[in-house]
Amino acid sequence: MANAVVWLDAAPAPAPIARRMVLDQRNLQFSPRVLAVQVGTTVDFPNNDRVFHNVFSFRDGKVFDLGMYPVGAVRHITFDKPGLSRIFCNIHPGMAAYVMAVDSPYFAVSNDDGAFSIAAIAPGPYKYRAWRAGAADMSGTWTDGILSISWP
Amino acid sequence: MRTNTSLVVAAAVSLASLLPARPGYAQSLTAEAAISAGVSTDNHVAAAATQVRVFGDADAGIRYYTEASWARTSDVGSDAFGAAYPYGNRVQVVEAYGERMFRPHDALLSVRAGRFRTPFGISSGSDHAYSGFTRAPLVRYDGYFALSNSFLEQGVDVMAGVPRLSVEAGVGRPADIGTAVRRAGTDTIVRLQSYAGPWIFGVSHIRTSPYQPASFAFGRADFTGVDARFMRDGVQLRGEFIAGRPFDGVTTTGWYGDALVHRVGMGPVTAVARLEQLDYDTPVSAFVLHTKRQTVGARVRALKNLSVQVSVLHQSGQLQSAYGSMALDVGITYTIRRP
Repeated sequence: MANAVVWLDAAPAPAPIARRMVLDQRNLQFSPRVLAVQVGTTVDFPNNDRVFHNVFSFRDGKVFDLGMYPVGAVRHITFDKPGLSRIFCNIHPGMAAYVMAVDSPYFAVSNDDGAFSIAAIAPGPYKYRAWRAGAADMSGTWTDGILSISWP
Repeated sequence: MRTNTSLVVAAAVSLASLLPARPGYAQSLTAEAAISAGVSTDNHVAAAATQVRVFGDADAGIRYYTEASWARTSDVGSDAFGAAYPYGNRVQVVEAYGERMFRPHDALLSVRAGRFRTPFGISSGSDHAYSGFTRAPLVRYDGYFALSNSFLEQGVDVMAGVPRLSVEAGVGRPADIGTAVRRAGTDTIVRLQSYAGPWIFGVSHIRTSPYQPASFAFGRADFTGVDARFMRDGVQLRGEFIAGRPFDGVTTTGWYGDALVHRVGMGPVTAVARLEQLDYDTPVSAFVLHTKRQTVGARVRALKNLSVQVSVLHQSGQLQSAYGSMALDVGITYTIRRP
């Protein structure tokens, strides 16, 4: 199950390890479709298509409208609060992505095989949380070893 | 033309070793299909269409885009639902091109070859097809003596510059598939574009062949246009002014201004409005075409993949004589995309 976000509650979290991430616009779609970031991270939204794009998030999470901009241009948003933002393009209705901002340094997005890994975790236990589009959020307790999460 | 195409593509390949390209992308393929249907009180027009688009990354940094459509209308004379694809009642390839983009430092260099929409003004399919308007602007519709959103070039175009200022030059031959099909010849198109903050400005010029019969439409078609767009807080304002001659001895001047509003709190609704005017002047007074039109409408994303478009228009001038002063258009579009 790809594109599931898993994170461990660890607030107050230290500053983000990587303060900049990229949500590309290429071939009339966002890439990646699901991006997880630590609160405080700035996400770049480059337009790598010949057409204009207009990235916005009106519904929940971080509310913003980057306006219309051409190929080669980049605009930025800092996700300063935890939560899920649904990202769309106002010009191309088929474009959609999710940005999950988590207040934790311990997070990952599952790959095409449904696997994920989180490295360098301080000793627990932790409360884990998991999200994927269209499904109920999951949570539980994890101490060590392999964490297996499955949605009904 | 074939010689020119080969030369430019070869040049692009050789540049690949000299210019830093974008980071490598894996091969990808995205397929998208849209099924549309609509009815209009404009002469009781009914229309249906299916479009299929396939695009993605190929080898060596080349991207591809293909679009085919089938569309049928009960009245080919009406411009209802004529926003962005032709109604020929047969499957037709609309666009099919490959593109290579280079990013030397912060600059842009893009080479595109194949069959693509004429890059004049506000011209991409997504600018017109999915915006909430059910009709093309008068000055960009088949058969109104100006330019058409369905005009296609078979050739090459090159865009160079930086994001804030770029120039695009294209050379090709007409490959139109709508009701207005230009005669054979060589087209040249030049476009200059800049943006600053929420504003985007463009100036375009095209020299092409007339689509009217050679028996009376002599010479070449020349058009120059300026376009502007503004976008802030979910409000998009855009417009074009286009002037020129569709053939010797006649002139066409037209403009339109659009407002598209999708603000916080409007949910799935995008509201649209357009003011426009078209003036085609010829020494034969019986053939002049002077029309003004006002349109208000909305696009509503009713379900995840289903959108509804509704518009009401009022018009005056020669089109009023032919189709009446008011019309209501209602259309639905179902879109699926894989992956």
